[in-house]
Amino acid sequence: MFSKVLIANRGEIALRILRACRTLGIGAVVAYSEADREGLAAQLADEAICIGPADAKRSYLSAPAIISAAVVTGCDAIHPGYGFLSEDEGFAEVVRAHGLTFIGPSAEVLERFASKEATRRILSAHGLATIPGSGMLRDEAHALEEAARVGYPVLIKPSAGGGGKGMRLVRTPRELETTFKVSRSEAMAGFGDDSLYLEKFLEDNRHVEIQVAVDRFGNAIHMGERDCSVQRRHQKLIEETPSPALSDVARGELAEKALRAVTAAGYENLGTLEFLVDAKGEAYFIEINCRIQVEHPITELCTGIDMVALQIKIAAGEKLGLTQADVVSRGHAIEFRILAEDPAKDFRPQAGQVVEYLAPGGPGIRMDSHLYPGYEVPSYYDSLLGKLSVWAPDRPLAIARADAALRELLVDGIVTNIELHRAILANQVFVDGKVTTSLLDRVGSAPFVAAGNR
Amino acid sequence: MPAPQGAAKPGPTDPERTLRIQRDHDAIARLADELLPALIAKLASGGLGEIEVRQGGWKARLRKPATAPDPNKAATAEAAARARAVGHGRPDERDRRARDPKEAEQGKVVAMSPAVGIYNPRRDLAVGMRVRAGDKIGTVDVLGVQQDVVSPVDGIIGSSLAEAGEAVEYGQELVRIEPPEQAPMSEVPPNEAPAGEAPAGEAPAGEAPAGEAPAGVAPAGPDAVAVAGKA
Repeated sequence: MFSKVLIANRGEIALRILRACRTLGIGAVVAYSEADREGLAAQLADEAICIGPADAKRSYLSAPAIISAAVVTGCDAIHPGYGFLSEDEGFAEVVRAHGLTFIGPSAEVLERFASKEATRRILSAHGLATIPGSGMLRDEAHALEEAARVGYPVLIKPSAGGGGKGMRLVRTPRELETTFKVSRSEAMAGFGDDSLYLEKFLEDNRHVEIQVAVDRFGNAIHMGERDCSVQRRHQKLIEETPSPALSDVARGELAEKALRAVTAAGYENLGTLEFLVDAKGEAYFIEINCRIQVEHPITELCTGIDMVALQIKIAAGEKLGLTQADVVSRGHAIEFRILAEDPAKDFRPQAGQVVEYLAPGGPGIRMDSHLYPGYEVPSYYDSLLGKLSVWAPDRPLAIARADAALRELLVDGIVTNIELHRAILANQVFVDGKVTTSLLDRVGSAPFVAAGNR
Repeated sequence: MPAPQGAAKPGPTDPERTLRIQRDHDAIARLADELLPALIAKLASGGLGEIEVRQGGWKARLRKPATAPDPNKAATAEAAARARAVGHGRPDERDRRARDPKEAEQGKVVAMSPAVGIYNPRRDLAVGMRVRAGDKIGTVDVLGVQQDVVSPVDGIIGSSLAEAGEAVEYGQELVRIEPPEQAPMSEVPPNEAPAGEAPAGEAPAGEAPAGEAPAGVAPAGPDAVAVAGKA
């Protein structure tokens, strides 16, 4: 096991990793940018080190700054959290070159799964159905040809993108013509890589993902699925497990199939395989996330497994210590992303001081947040303020507990989306477990907010 | 066809331009001979830190040097030499240390670390050494790549806040830089001059930066920096 881990991230996930390190009895150093000096992780850590200015390019995205911080503080491993450098194979490689361990898959594994297009090819060869799509698009003519082959509507996607960033929906050849160049330059600007591919757009789909863990010895488990269909512009808002869209048989089959494929493809450490499930219940593999995910707490609530600790153990070369039979998922869990976004103002990100903060409590309630009264939310990073996760023996009770917890949750001084969450909870489509990924974008959030205000 | 470059420029004998230059020279001479001595005397006698006067399209601004522990000055200097983390303790502890009023009131500027790494001062770095803004005073080794530590201001090297070979973080305070205005040491009571630091005579009057009022103009008052420019 490692003696000391450098936490190269911020916000709630830095705090989550710090907690896992303490649970494991290993040291931790929180690396923070100047804008996060007052961040809770840096405040609570036994050791913290400023790695650069607020600009992420010179702090959380700076490999030299992070690795140097790990070296001078005597760390033997770096936990990248999610986002930033968490799936960057170049970073993982440099970390290893300095004699440190990257907590995540090896550079080779990250490289193999770096391109979504290549990943789909690999996993499709190992038996996962994929959405009909193209290879890398050479030019506009090629794009038009491929779109005609798979059938409109299609999604134009940057190969290097993630989290829905840079994706565009195109319904006609004419739209494709105007979109292609824009997408290409956006991809270059956003990801430094202008490779694009396209795939058939499934209307009314659900987003279901399978959580897996594979150690270096080939031991592998899955931890069931998460349904992340409540999205706004491809950004997840609410996640739950188990998925209301799948039967027990279907969920078991999908998880086993995903685990077999990813293990055969040589995956290692924690990973999430994302699928789109269409109205008929067919699951199409879309991508793999080679990191801890924002929504991991709901899996932890149902399985009782500390996934961050497990991730650290696997990276340290330990055995899983669990077989599939040991993984039992109980009850129902829902997570709500509490964001500093104003639903009434087109979800504009908010920054400013949190004057009051009170986390909810009670049976099955878990709050992962870096907020505290007086905390200044910086404007440089994403808008995630925390995650409220709720567990109950069944879904209706989970919804009831969630509503009670959202009523208790107090974040004053900054506009959040708490009320939007309550409105969604009260919506019949959500109660029926029928939300699809495009619902919020199609109807807009205004009806939800209006209904919630009544 | 491109127009020949420079054809439109006024020739050196442009009469209007010559006249303008002559007027400017006269104005500067008038400012230096009449206005500045009066302003320096006024600044010396009162509690004002800065004076600005406008006259005939020109303005002159005079500022007292930051020698005395003037509370306003201390606040500014504190902001400039701001509360940087030192060492690897918890940030709040470090902030407390850095906000220590005793340290802040001294009104000193510090050279800070440009990166996380191992600090090494320049070999010839010594207390009392004169530096210009941008002068290299050491390096921080970031995984074998040397990043320069530079002085943010013109001044005199003061005490070191980090040891050679010490691990430092981004923004950490490394070396105090004392303002060159402190040069006339006769103004600093002996007990305020830290032992061994910036001994008197280290900065002779001749080295005073251009623009500083000559001592003869206001012998009894504080040094004043005059800034003249067109309003």
